[in-house]
Amino acid sequence: MKEFELFVGPQHPGITGNFMYHLWVDGDTIVKAEAHPGYLHRGFEKLMERRTWQMNVALIPRICVPEPDVNEAVYAMGVESLMDWDIPERAKYIRTIVLEMARISSHLLTIGGYAGAIGLYTVGQWTVGDRDYLLDLFEQLTGARVYHIFIFPGGVRWDLPDGFLRKLEKVLNYLEGRLEFYDKLLFANEVFFRRAPDVGVVPKDKAIEWGVTGPNLRACGYDYDVRKVDPYAAYPDLDFEIPHYPKFGDFDVLGHGCDCYSRMIVRRLEIEQSIKILRQVIKKIPEGPHTLKLPNPLAWKVPAGYAYARVESSKGEYGYFVVSDGGKMPYRVHVRGPSYTHGINVTETIAKGLNIADFSQTIFSLDVCAPDIER
Amino acid sequence: MKAEDIFKDLELKFENLKVKGNTLPRYKAEVQPDKLEEAIIKFKSNGFNHFVALSCIDWIKDEKFELVYHLFSYEEKEDVFLSIFLPRNEPKYKTLRHLFPQIETYEREIHEMFGVEFEGNDRLGEFILEDWDNMPPMRKDFDTVKYGKEKYESVPLINEGGEKE
Repeated sequence: MKEFELFVGPQHPGITGNFMYHLWVDGDTIVKAEAHPGYLHRGFEKLMERRTWQMNVALIPRICVPEPDVNEAVYAMGVESLMDWDIPERAKYIRTIVLEMARISSHLLTIGGYAGAIGLYTVGQWTVGDRDYLLDLFEQLTGARVYHIFIFPGGVRWDLPDGFLRKLEKVLNYLEGRLEFYDKLLFANEVFFRRAPDVGVVPKDKAIEWGVTGPNLRACGYDYDVRKVDPYAAYPDLDFEIPHYPKFGDFDVLGHGCDCYSRMIVRRLEIEQSIKILRQVIKKIPEGPHTLKLPNPLAWKVPAGYAYARVESSKGEYGYFVVSDGGKMPYRVHVRGPSYTHGINVTETIAKGLNIADFSQTIFSLDVCAPDIER
Repeated sequence: MKAEDIFKDLELKFENLKVKGNTLPRYKAEVQPDKLEEAIIKFKSNGFNHFVALSCIDWIKDEKFELVYHLFSYEEKEDVFLSIFLPRNEPKYKTLRHLFPQIETYEREIHEMFGVEFEGNDRLGEFILEDWDNMPPMRKDFDTVKYGKEKYESVPLINEGGEKE
């Protein structure tokens, strides 16, 4: 049969954002895929060069919509490296709270999106609804629901409001109870068992070389996590596990790893770990100042040099390469988003041979986030 | 093999970058462009098999582009930044996509945003920008305001002769 071309995106229910894949299809088997970014390019890296070190804090969360806090955290860590600042202990714990809440809310969106891609639409409605409880907490903590502009170089913007930790505990209990329902609807569903294992396989021996990171790498059997490998914030003091193939606890190990099934199970287990981390933070959080004394924002100069900071986002390794020439504005900031490799090279390679119907679940399980590809 | 030993083998001088927040050491070294491929192969075969990113910096005062190849080793837990400098008036380098496939994408972006030519990469060309008709926009001498005014109809500011409401 003659090949035909198929466009998935930029407006398509099976795509993870404003992004397009150009597919060449034979029958219903994909023979070639090309990624086409360009619908979301907002020139953040250029804009950052024209704003002062402090003004950038309000700009960068917008790079990644589902999980904006990682941007604030890496930027702050990059600037702190250049300034040679040690931030207060309490600030580290508050950052951990924000980052873990962001991880849960981002995983909830991914799980909902993935379930939609295999036809289980109810899950998405539930997870988006439950994510709202986390957004309520964010609103109470930072004043905003999506873009929080909360983590600053030197610490965080303000201390926890009264009763915040009690509310957080309540929401965690609620979310933990909800996991059982997601399991019934998606993770123990026959549709998931039949469609996900051994689909969209990233070859295990190539995974690291291809730049696969985060849950996608852990689904291949590596227990690498930036929180353990290159620890930051309060993570060195906290006790948690890194879910990876084939250590799936109560879940069955279906397939041979590196596939849609393993990637989604890893994400599901990470929510449990995040809840565990947050509970420890609630118990352990020390008293003290929440930020250093910041310099005058208009005359704030950062010493010349290079710095690289990385965190574990819900999608993988998220890093900023910050270059200063000693001025009031960054000289260059390069954003290393995890989807840059997952969404372009990895997807273009593994899409060959996939069924059209499996393409969407593959990119959802890789958690491709278009905004951090083109910034 | 530790990064310091590999640097010694390659006879490269390196500096330690400051790290706060994260904990692992980061080493940065300048490499001659013709020695870079050999250096990356050496690092790759000694455990530095995670290619993190390729960044480009426009040092307009020195008339140079800096390309920073960033590698990481999960075994040794060390970061290595290898940088090369290219002349700004004729930035040309060879592609290294055969070493790590994702380098291809970084080269496409740097070609579009900075105008650096990578010989051997056949996918250079339109990537993020479409129908771009000006100098590569991430260069330091690209004036975004001027481009915006020329390209799109804009309402003049009051101090530029615009009307008061």
